[in-house]
Amino acid sequence: MASIESKDIRKIIVACDAGMGSSVMLASQVRKQLKGTQIQVEHTPVNSIPDDADVILCHVGLADRARKSAPGRVLVPFQVFIGDPAVTKLISTIKSGGTVDA
Amino acid sequence: MPETAPLPLDPRAVRLDETAADRDDAIRQCGRALLETGAVAEPYIATMLDRERSISTYVGEGVAIPHGTLAGKDVVHHDAICVLRFPGGVDWDGERVTVCVGIAAKGDGHVRLLSELARILLDPGSARALRAATEVGQVLELLLPTAGEDTEK
Repeated sequence: MASIESKDIRKIIVACDAGMGSSVMLASQVRKQLKGTQIQVEHTPVNSIPDDADVILCHVGLADRARKSAPGRVLVPFQVFIGDPAVTKLISTIKSGGTVDA
Repeated sequence: MPETAPLPLDPRAVRLDETAADRDDAIRQCGRALLETGAVAEPYIATMLDRERSISTYVGEGVAIPHGTLAGKDVVHHDAICVLRFPGGVDWDGERVTVCVGIAAKGDGHVRLLSELARILLDPGSARALRAATEVGQVLELLLPTAGEDTEK
């Protein structure tokens, strides 16, 4: 199981099919919540997750495609685009300096 | 950061008193609003339906954000959103949707607007105002990025 220390996270990718709707909205929220940290938050289509993504957030329905597209990376699946507990947990883990695991 | 680019929201694509037979009908209407304002070519609409069938675009607070798939990006002319309000509600896989924010994008021209939408959805009062808006001006005002607040990116 992949995991990463919060201090080592540089880039979070919010992945969606097209990267034009829901991922954009979620990325903007995560970016806002991580303001003041060094972490970059970007949104991309699930098929073009960049190699330097440390943590990938994606809808559960796309998790398999994300795993294939970015094998071995920490993947946090979520169900809802606004206010998902998995996303809230990721933010609080990062802010408290804990370990994020897939 | 350069001053805000014009919002990719054509007032003609804000339609606040619509009715839809079902979810797919509502999505087609969003697609047509984007088509009629020149943002997309006709085949985009089918990709919006494809996307909805794979993963719902319901985002909470009675709002859905239908948009196309990666394949559909090829027929997007410019970044745009439309806002369609269905006061009678539309059954969206068990959720009741009264506002659809349809999206067409090949770049990031709509990002600030979606960021505003997320802020609205996280604030029950603003979400209620969006669902209740009957004037185009009210919708534009709600979705207009809050001055000075949003300096991210």
